[in-house]
Amino acid sequence: MPDMIKVSNMTKDYGEGKGIFDFDFSVKQGECFGIVGTNGSGKTTTLRHLMGFLKPDSGSCSVMGLDCLKDTKEIMKNVGYVPGEIDFPDVGSGTSFLKIQAEFLGVKDKEYIKKLADMFGLDTDAPLKRMSKGMKQKTALVAAFMAHPKVLLLDEPSTGLDPLMRDTLIELILSEKAHGATILMSSHIFKELDDTADRVLFIENGIQKDIVTKSELCDELPSLYRLGFKSDDDYDSFIRKTHLSVEHESRGNLHIDIAADSSQLGILFGEMSRYDMRYMKFKPFTLERYYTEVFEKGGRKSA
Amino acid sequence: MLSLPLLKQSIKSNSVMWGSMTGVMTLLCVQFSMLDMTRSMLFTIFYGMMTTILPGIYVLVTSNKLLASQVDRGSMAYVLATPTKRTTVTFTQAFYLVNSLIAMFGILTLAHLACNAAKPITLGELGFMGLQGDLTSKMIMQVNLSALMVCIALAAVCFMFSGIFSSTKYSIGLSGTFIGVSILANMLAMFGNLGVEGLDKFKYLTVCTFYDYNSVLTGGNEWITKMIFPAAIALVAFGLGELVFKKKDLPL
Repeated sequence: MPDMIKVSNMTKDYGEGKGIFDFDFSVKQGECFGIVGTNGSGKTTTLRHLMGFLKPDSGSCSVMGLDCLKDTKEIMKNVGYVPGEIDFPDVGSGTSFLKIQAEFLGVKDKEYIKKLADMFGLDTDAPLKRMSKGMKQKTALVAAFMAHPKVLLLDEPSTGLDPLMRDTLIELILSEKAHGATILMSSHIFKELDDTADRVLFIENGIQKDIVTKSELCDELPSLYRLGFKSDDDYDSFIRKTHLSVEHESRGNLHIDIAADSSQLGILFGEMSRYDMRYMKFKPFTLERYYTEVFEKGGRKSA
Repeated sequence: MLSLPLLKQSIKSNSVMWGSMTGVMTLLCVQFSMLDMTRSMLFTIFYGMMTTILPGIYVLVTSNKLLASQVDRGSMAYVLATPTKRTTVTFTQAFYLVNSLIAMFGILTLAHLACNAAKPITLGELGFMGLQGDLTSKMIMQVNLSALMVCIALAAVCFMFSGIFSSTKYSIGLSGTFIGVSILANMLAMFGNLGVEGLDKFKYLTVCTFYDYNSVLTGGNEWITKMIFPAAIALVAFGLGELVFKKKDLPL
């Protein structure tokens, strides 16, 4: 698979430690690539470079093998963009905005625009200025997806959406991905990246920390199991004798969290069979836990 | 070079401002040329001040809206996220700005021609005591052309600031100062012409000096040569605005 998006040693220094420094990654065709980071860590700046809005101080970036600064027009024929800050041109209603946008992009299929709007339960006739945050976001999403772009650059696409609509968005992203679209999205909601992204880039204060592959998350890293005991004795005895690592103890609730990878499952069940258990719960190893582990506790060394 | 959807969008989002300024200016012209009380002041007040003040306000607000405000608010992202080059954006917006002024003065000229045909006036009545004959249709068109050229220069300078700055604050601030100084200096210079000692020096402070209805009414050719300067200013300013807008970082 060729690289659809390539960022090479790209630096943009805004001074006072702000900006992005020496970013270097690429996204393959048909891949969904997530960017995670705290506010102000450089997610939006990265996307703006890919859109050709900003000029890097050094390094370069390209989309579909075309330089983001020089061949912006060519690139834009194949890109759908949801900006981080949403504000629309002063053209009245959502319908007329989408109509003009379709003209810009040369989109003939008006039915699909309507389908997208219906999917999000969006009333496009509402005046743009009166729209709620969620409605604006939906309008922006319709505008970005309506041309079936080959590359989607989404800057926190689920901002302002309710949980149901967030699921709709995830479905939409997955269906575009199934049709071969390359997706790069930034987010600080881990769930949507858990559901969509193949790889996730972690950034912190403009520094690229780590790129995590989803399969790596699922297989290599241990999963968390929460075990609840019936008596204090069982609880104490388990903690004393176990060969597994106890991540978290809670005497009041009589439960503990055990971290075990797939090879340790036998040991876990063997140990459990000796006690009176109230329950066992599986807590999937999510990006969120990874994030907490790696960045807040500094558990894993940064790449 | 020209993006039709963007042109449509610009017409749509600026129609109210354009419509009201054109309406007010045309109505004032009709009033000044038809009512006996005001007819004599058609040139000193209407063509002397209104034809620069009203379009001045229009270009100040509109040129800011065409670039800087859209960058500031972020809505420019939707235009540039389509296969539309930045140069196409500036060209289209400048095209809109110039042509909206042409349309504005076109309507004004037509209205004045109609009024003048219905109720002709002699140059003497207009305050030009030494001149013989009526105000002709040709003169009306020439005066408007001269005013239009100066307004295009005003528009170009505002457009330049709009292209240079990504923040409305600076774009409106500098454009406003420029328009304000231009119009104010023009008015002071006019008082200088009417006999107030020393004030005529203000004519060196403003582009409006190149708008010369006296030369038209006296049948001279000076107004034509004077159009070269605002035309040159307009070309340079539009060019600079476009150049900076093409190169700069856009926070979209």
